[in-house]
Amino acid sequence: MADVFEVTDEIKAQYGKETEPWVSEVTTTSVRMYARGIGSTDPLHYDVDYAKSQGFRSIVAPMGYVGTPVFHPDTNDGTFGFPRRGGGARLNLPTKGLLDGGTETEYFDYICAGDTLVETSHLAEVKVRGNMVFVTNEAVFKDQATGKVVAKQRLTSIHLG
Amino acid sequence: MPQVYFEDVQEGQEIPEIKKNCSTQQLVLWAAGSGDFYQIHYDKDFAQGTGLPGLIVHGALKHAFLGQLVHDWIGPGGQIRKFGCSYRGMDYPNQDIRCRGVVKKKFTENGKNLVELDVWTENPDGKKTSPGTATVALPSKA
Repeated sequence: MADVFEVTDEIKAQYGKETEPWVSEVTTTSVRMYARGIGSTDPLHYDVDYAKSQGFRSIVAPMGYVGTPVFHPDTNDGTFGFPRRGGGARLNLPTKGLLDGGTETEYFDYICAGDTLVETSHLAEVKVRGNMVFVTNEAVFKDQATGKVVAKQRLTSIHLG
Repeated sequence: MPQVYFEDVQEGQEIPEIKKNCSTQQLVLWAAGSGDFYQIHYDKDFAQGTGLPGLIVHGALKHAFLGQLVHDWIGPGGQIRKFGCSYRGMDYPNQDIRCRGVVKKKFTENGKNLVELDVWTENPDGKKTSPGTATVALPSKA
C-alpha cells in the first residue's frame, strides 16, 4: 500500500516547535478520581495523612497522571479536554480515524496533590506506514512554583487515511 | 506493600502480575479521571459507527495499569524513572487484561540502583496488546 502522507522538509522543520504554555492542576479530588479510574487501592493516592506519614507533601499522583489541563469551554476541546492554543506545529493530517499509538512517561520528581504544573508541548516525530500516520508529541511539565521539570510525556497518535 | 531491594532482584525474574477486567463503569470512571471522553469507550453505537466491533479500553488506561503494576512492585522506597508502552492491540470491556513484567537488566549508575523491565498487557489469547519498558530506582539493603 502506498503511503497516504509524506513527511516533508516543511514538516520536519516543525519538530521541536513549542506550543504556548498551559496550566495543569493536580488536586486531591483529581488524584483520587484518577486512582479510582485505574482501580488502585494504594492509600498513597487517597489518604493525605498516610501520604504525609510516608514523607510526601500530599497524596501522590498515580503513575501516568500529570495533572488536568485547566478547562474553559472557549479554549479546550470538549471531548479530550486538551487546550486549543497557539504555537506548536500545524499539520494537515488524514482524518478517517484516530487511535492511541503509545504513551511514555518520564519522571524527575514525584507529583502530588496541590502541585500546579505548567506544560508545553512540541512535535517530536512523524512517521508513516501505509495508511497510518504516527504523530509523536512530547509534553514537558514544570512545577509552576520552582520552574523545575518534573515530568515529560511522549504521546503518539495514529491518524488513519 | 512490601519493599523490594536492589539486591533481591534478578535478571529474568517476573514481577507479581496484576489482573484487570474493565467494566463499562470503570471506563467511565477513567474518562472522568483522565479527561478523555472519546465516545468509543462508552457509546457502543458510536464505537461501531467508527468501524470498531464495540467499546474498547482506552490505550492510556493500559499505560496507567502498567504504571500501577510497577508502582505496586517497587514499594514505597522505590521510584519509577520512566515507563511507557505502545498500543499494538485492542482490549475490550469485561475481558481479562493481565499486566505483567520481567526484569531485563539491573545496574548501578551515578550511585543509583536501577532496574530495567519489559512490561506488557496481555489479552485472553495471550497476545501482548501493550508492550513496553520501565526503568526504576530501588533502595539498597546496604
